[in-house]
Amino acid sequence: MNVSAFTGIDPFLDPVDRILSQIAFNIQLPPSLHAKAVSRYEAVRRHLEATTFFADGIEHFYPQGSMAIDATISTRGTDDEYDIDIIAQLAAKYRHLGPLGVLKALEAALSNYPVEKVIRQTRCVTLVYGDRMHLDVSAAFREQGTPERRSQIMHAKGPNRSADDCEVPSNAYGFAEHYKSRTPVETAVSEAFRRRWNDHDRLRADAEVDDVPDQAPFVVKNMATLALQLVKRYRNITHDRKRRSGQMAPSVLLANYAARSASTGRTLSDALISLCNLLIIDIRRASLLGRTLAVVNPTWDQDEFTDRWPESVDQQNEFADDLSNLVAALNHLRSGRMDPVDIPAELRQLFGDYVVNEAIRKIAQETGGAVKQASQSYTRAGGILVPSTTAAALITSKAAAAPVAASRHDFFGDAV
Amino acid sequence: MAFLPLTIEEQVADMRAAWPSFAHRTFGKDAVIWQGTLKPLTRSYDVQIAYSTDMVISGPEVRIVSPRLTRLPGNPEGSLPHVYNRDRDPVLCLFDPAREQWSGWLFVSETIVPWTIDWLACYEFWLMTGAWEGGGRHPPSTGRRINVENYP
Repeated sequence: MNVSAFTGIDPFLDPVDRILSQIAFNIQLPPSLHAKAVSRYEAVRRHLEATTFFADGIEHFYPQGSMAIDATISTRGTDDEYDIDIIAQLAAKYRHLGPLGVLKALEAALSNYPVEKVIRQTRCVTLVYGDRMHLDVSAAFREQGTPERRSQIMHAKGPNRSADDCEVPSNAYGFAEHYKSRTPVETAVSEAFRRRWNDHDRLRADAEVDDVPDQAPFVVKNMATLALQLVKRYRNITHDRKRRSGQMAPSVLLANYAARSASTGRTLSDALISLCNLLIIDIRRASLLGRTLAVVNPTWDQDEFTDRWPESVDQQNEFADDLSNLVAALNHLRSGRMDPVDIPAELRQLFGDYVVNEAIRKIAQETGGAVKQASQSYTRAGGILVPSTTAAALITSKAAAAPVAASRHDFFGDAV
Repeated sequence: MAFLPLTIEEQVADMRAAWPSFAHRTFGKDAVIWQGTLKPLTRSYDVQIAYSTDMVISGPEVRIVSPRLTRLPGNPEGSLPHVYNRDRDPVLCLFDPAREQWSGWLFVSETIVPWTIDWLACYEFWLMTGAWEGGGRHPPSTGRRINVENYP
């Protein structure tokens, strides 16, 4: 992991990025729930190991997918439901059970687990908690003698054995490590979000009279991951808004493009546009050849990220069109020509009603509060910087700061 | 505090140093009009600031030349909050006359320009949310522009 003194750009600095960052903040897995998710999957591991069947039979129990790369957002179009994906790497002695047998054994071992529901799915067993967090536990077997941690995960629809049952190559761990190496920590991003979560928790603590840790230990760490979260949210909202059925572009595919497009020092909207454009180009190129997009795990070419999506050239073109619309909307927002009165509707269309309304309201109150307290500062271009961005602004663009201090004043005017 | 208010020449020199992107035109030693662009948040605004020696008490007149300011009819703060002449020729109202926040002994560059940025920032969020978060107040209707001399 590369950490230098101060890297990246504060995503709350630019006015449009500030709103986008607040939207991302509103859909992220909060640090408190991240800690809860970790304690939950550790408890599930302990539970499984305490069963007779799986005693000494679990080699690794680790997060995969968005949980492994700190990119978890709320599920689909929801605002407070989270899916946490876990790999249970089992000892080879269970492999003879076959995919359905392994999934059923896992289901049986968790059947009395204290959650609302235990559901066996095609590739995992899902634990549904009372607070609507879902823990998806996928069973995997390590491919011995291959690079860390190439595995096979179990695929079986059930309820009876079928010719379609199979083992699916996967290296979720390898991809997470690859992703992290391609998206180093940008301290301007992680510190901005750490401050924001601390402020959020402090406000909540004031309301609830709870103890709050001084520092949020888990926060988004770079602009690429922030962009990834927003693209995933956009995909989810668009899928729901257009009432589409069928698979969505998988998150791991988007994460792969986030890693490929990552470049330290980008603004959030630049990172977002870059991610989209890279994916659009690859889809268009495949479509021109009459093929569906084919992308494999960079750490193992047997692990196909596109094995279940896209189902057709039309479906991938539809997604490329969606991404093009997102890029166009972002460029319009950044153009300086959009009437602010139209901005909320445009953003709601992209990211959903509630989170957008809340994000704009929060930023509006912060800005108004700064004006009332004269705690803001200015740029030479006539921009306003509110306190949470001021420190970063001074570091990143000292020359752009206006030589004028804020002072107290009260707006007045004609009678309403 | 100096006995006399700042002269137009002093205001012009100070504006040139603090906000060099603002162009100006003087009218003898008595008046000046500055025009420049400010981009507080998402949009750029052409802003005109008119000031003359007879505005030492009432304060400079600040107008948004373009784009045309958007109205929100039926809004609790009025269709366009914190302005004078809302319906004909809106002039931003950036300070409360009763609190003596402006006087000709202050620099326009350090007061009126940053307060205009504040106004525009609050205006943009007012358009987005319908709520004016920047504080201030609207006086009872009197039909005349209020300043520190005629404040009721």
